[in-house]
Amino acid sequence: MAPKGIIFDVQAFSVHDGPGCRTTIFFAGCPLRCRWCSNPENFALKAHLMFAGRVCKWSSGCRACENKCTHNSLTFNEDGPQVSWDICQECTTFECTQTCAANALRVCGKEYSVEDVMTILRRDFCHWGNDGGVTFSGGDPMLQPQFLKAVLQACKKMQIHTAIETSAYIPQSTFLDIMPLVDFAFIDVKNMDDTQHKAGTGVSNNLILNNIATLKTSRWNGRLVLRTPIIGEYNDSEDNALKTIDFMKENGLYEINLLPFHRLGQTKWEQLGLSYDYATGGDVSTEKMQKLQSIYLDNNILCYLGDKTPF
Amino acid sequence: MTNEDKLNELLKQHGIEMEEDKYSALENIPQKAEGCEKLMEIYYTLKNTVDMEYPYWYNRVWQENDGDITIVRRAKAMAAALSHLTPTIQPYERLVMNKTRNVRGAFPFPWVTASFFNAQAEALMAEADAPAESEADAVSIVGDGGGNVTKSYGNIISIAKKFGMRKEEIPVLVRVSKPWDGNSVEELSNKYAQYTPDYALEQNIMESVLCMFDSYCIPQGREVMNYYLPLQYGWDGIIELCNQRITETMGEADSDGILGMGRGYYYVAMKILAQGMSKWCQNYADRAHYLASIETDPAFKKNYEDIEAVMSHIAHKAPSTFRQALQLTLCCHYGVVNEDPQSGQSIGRLGQVLQPFYEKDIADGITTEEEVIELLEFYRIKITSIECFASAGVTGGVLSGNTFNNLSLGGLNRDGLTAVTPLEYLIIEAGMRCRTTQPTLSILYDEKTPEDFLMKAASCTKLGMGYPAWMNNQDGINFMMLNYGPEGMNLQDARAWCLGGCLESSPGCFLPLNYNGKTYWIPGGAGPTAGSGVHFVGLPKVLELVLTNGYDHRMKRQILPAHNKELDSLETIQNEWVNYLKMIINALNKVNNLQMDIWRKHCMPIVNSLLKPDCFTKGRDLGMMGGRYNATINFESCGTITFINSLASLYKNVFKDKKYTLEEMLDAMLHNFGFKTSYETGVFSPDFREATDLAGKYEQIFADCINAPKFGNADWEADQFLKWYEDTMFDLTRSYESYYGKPLYMCQISVSTHGPQGFVTLADAAGRLAGTTYSDGSVSAAAGTDKNGIYAIFQSATVYDHGTQQNAQMNLKLHPSAVKGIQGTRKLLDIVRSYMRKGGFHVQFNIVDSNTLRAAQAKPENYRDLMVRVAGFTQYWCEIGKPIQDEVIYRTEYDN
Repeated sequence: MAPKGIIFDVQAFSVHDGPGCRTTIFFAGCPLRCRWCSNPENFALKAHLMFAGRVCKWSSGCRACENKCTHNSLTFNEDGPQVSWDICQECTTFECTQTCAANALRVCGKEYSVEDVMTILRRDFCHWGNDGGVTFSGGDPMLQPQFLKAVLQACKKMQIHTAIETSAYIPQSTFLDIMPLVDFAFIDVKNMDDTQHKAGTGVSNNLILNNIATLKTSRWNGRLVLRTPIIGEYNDSEDNALKTIDFMKENGLYEINLLPFHRLGQTKWEQLGLSYDYATGGDVSTEKMQKLQSIYLDNNILCYLGDKTPF
Repeated sequence: MTNEDKLNELLKQHGIEMEEDKYSALENIPQKAEGCEKLMEIYYTLKNTVDMEYPYWYNRVWQENDGDITIVRRAKAMAAALSHLTPTIQPYERLVMNKTRNVRGAFPFPWVTASFFNAQAEALMAEADAPAESEADAVSIVGDGGGNVTKSYGNIISIAKKFGMRKEEIPVLVRVSKPWDGNSVEELSNKYAQYTPDYALEQNIMESVLCMFDSYCIPQGREVMNYYLPLQYGWDGIIELCNQRITETMGEADSDGILGMGRGYYYVAMKILAQGMSKWCQNYADRAHYLASIETDPAFKKNYEDIEAVMSHIAHKAPSTFRQALQLTLCCHYGVVNEDPQSGQSIGRLGQVLQPFYEKDIADGITTEEEVIELLEFYRIKITSIECFASAGVTGGVLSGNTFNNLSLGGLNRDGLTAVTPLEYLIIEAGMRCRTTQPTLSILYDEKTPEDFLMKAASCTKLGMGYPAWMNNQDGINFMMLNYGPEGMNLQDARAWCLGGCLESSPGCFLPLNYNGKTYWIPGGAGPTAGSGVHFVGLPKVLELVLTNGYDHRMKRQILPAHNKELDSLETIQNEWVNYLKMIINALNKVNNLQMDIWRKHCMPIVNSLLKPDCFTKGRDLGMMGGRYNATINFESCGTITFINSLASLYKNVFKDKKYTLEEMLDAMLHNFGFKTSYETGVFSPDFREATDLAGKYEQIFADCINAPKFGNADWEADQFLKWYEDTMFDLTRSYESYYGKPLYMCQISVSTHGPQGFVTLADAAGRLAGTTYSDGSVSAAAGTDKNGIYAIFQSATVYDHGTQQNAQMNLKLHPSAVKGIQGTRKLLDIVRSYMRKGGFHVQFNIVDSNTLRAAQAKPENYRDLMVRVAGFTQYWCEIGKPIQDEVIYRTEYDN
């Protein structure tokens, strides 16, 4: 049977996720649990509820979701609907979302067939210009390897430029099986220190670093750009930069993209009933970002800040 | 070494390209010329001002010539009015002349419409006699709405909620209006309209705002200027030509028993006009001479002397420099916009028309690129200052205060090769340096357009003023051949098309300009107004009336005859909608035909009838089909996508899924889905909802309406209705004839009518609440309903061939970060190009942060120079009405 996948968003005219204009497909599910994550709705590999209190029309008199939940999760007080997340996390029916015209209660994640994805890409192909293509992001698309591979194969058949954003926290055989179908990769290296890596993301960096090293010695000839979200007091030290540089040099890597910490994902944590550790803290000054950039540059590593990239 | 230098060095080593954005980074764009800076300060400070100088002289000379042949009489009146305008020259100005003696001046045209002034005569006089209000009141209103005078204050009376008139001029207004009582174009056409069989129906249609306004309100415009004759011959040369033609034609019918004899009068009229135009120019030369004589500052003195030299030259002779040529085109432009209340009198492909003059001056070393850019900056300020005085409904509700003097660039020349000229790069550059609302710029995108020119244009679009907008040259040419082929248009002429008004594809032709010993085929307009027919019918309102059996629940009366059909299928609804629309067009078209017929008989174009080919060749004015192409009159639609989304929801919820009966749907619509209406709340944003006690009853149906398929998501379930609509309208509009005896066609621009027409429309089946704005344009997604991104909108928009109608309008809002840097410029061009390649006719961008717009709504005084793109034009944020502001803020912003 043809594999199917859970996708939670498709973004057109995506201009910061690889070369040129792109369509970015966000896969559900991620093996990491980064405490600063800006897409926490992708943690789970299934359709799930989100609740955006900010757009809820309760305060202007809307009561559309009252008595709609069949699982005794939604309760109501003067602030509006209250979600019992332990119940909602198990939900598969989402009755409450069906009357919500404000899109405050909504289902995140939908099942797609390979053909569904290719219909979108075929439609978008003419819009990418010379350099663009498709980017698979998430979450981590590698968490749905069969589906991803089938989609990538279909892309290659249509001569579409493919890019991926992955944590590379994937069994090596899977990783090496998929990467030959990828032309351009962003791989996140969040901390060179394993203990710190575990503390920030919940997993060890051994597999990640090992996958990168192995990829570079394989016959893969795509372009690899490392990506590091710079989180204040976590991975913004010069020491971490120098260690990353060592690693890059050992493995013949020469491009890294440093992304300054932002809080754009904060409301999503709230919408999922999760607590967000970075409501305060984590900020990095522009000067600090430039300092880190200069360290990379002084070591002959091409280091791009934020969206100022050559692609 | 900075990080940037280091990075560039390393990139070079790796052979990776990362160019700096030298072109559209604001800090790299040179400041506008110092004089322009000063003139813009004046512009921002001044208010829209109405004065009576022009109408006084027109009226006086018109009355003095009672009994003369109409075209001659009108030419005398206009020549007198133009040549009696007090010439005013602002310090720093390098290009001169104006509509009136005021910078932001306009005036009423009582011969076109006088009933308002006559009905208000007593009230106006009383207001003029009343003591001035306190200074405090005066101050509070001055800061409101940019240059608009929305309320009377001090010694200023507000007229049409936009213009101010000095109290002492009110008696003149009243007196000049009086003779036109009962015989202005408006009143005469009303008189004859009553003979049309559906007059009562037509009155209902207008009163319910099913249709937005009448043709006589702005009888000219939505067309392209043609500057050929004066550029080739000069005013003296034209007078000489008239003398020759008078000798040849006076008293001769030349085998045309109807129109042949009229030629003699036509040339007499043209001669009188050319003399008036010449005198008008000379007045400015004299004024400059006087100012130079009293000026002590050598730089100012020199400036006045230069102006005198230019004006005294073009008062008589054909231009011999770029500056003279530019000034002469401006003179013609003012001449035409002073004929009638006008909007959309477009400049056309100016960079191609004036290229010969530019080329020679550069070759001769008498000017430089920088000087030309400066002149073009001054030109922008002149065009931005053109105001149109019409009724409040037209000025605010339709035009948002803009007069749409569109300048087109690119396209193809007569030989079918790219028409881009070196001068056109400078026009864009001037638009980047001197960022004003007008002229708005339009790129006629063709695959043959040079890439560096497209990049230059994209760099300009990125700055966020909303221009240039992008139009598909091949769609334009196809439409020309389709619409004007029956009148004999060939491919060469089709290539001369461009935009007249914000988005009206208008016919043109190439004419041979002899200059500097060479022949240049320059493009220009070749037809009359492409936009006076049936104006802005609110398509969603028609659907509402189908569902209510013709009864308007807002006005509480029957507007259209009951159809009494059982609406048991979507096809029945669609058929009844078509029947109602036919009924509406039938009633409106006859009345508008009468208005335009009386206009052309009593107030025929004079300046425009000199300029537009082939009037001068034929010896016939533009109203009598002197133009080369005359199938220009159209039907204007409003609210296309709002209508399409309603059909899609009715189909899904009532007929396909059968979740609700039509009665239940109608009940929900009539009760505004249980929400307060925007009339009650005063908020017109599509996003705002305040529940009433009834909300609970309608919550499920409301959610289902909101969640029904929507246009703009590449969902055929919704998009199929756009295809059906366009196919249906193609044949339907072409079954009606204009006063020229030519078929109508569809013009799909909303201008600003989606605000007021949304205002009168109940909640609809797609979940749009009562009174909120319709979707803008014709293929923009309804605000907030596009969930699948830009590429999906493009797919939805191109389910039919855009080359079959005059236009299709697409507005997109991008966050500035999406197009940052030179890569961003390329990416912007990538989406434009791909949409054009898919056959999209037009796309324009607001590249602005919604937070900026919200801040500007809260504190307009801090954002005097902020501009946004509305539905085909750029306007200062503070000068547009709140419903349209809300709609612009709520449009989906793409920032990936």
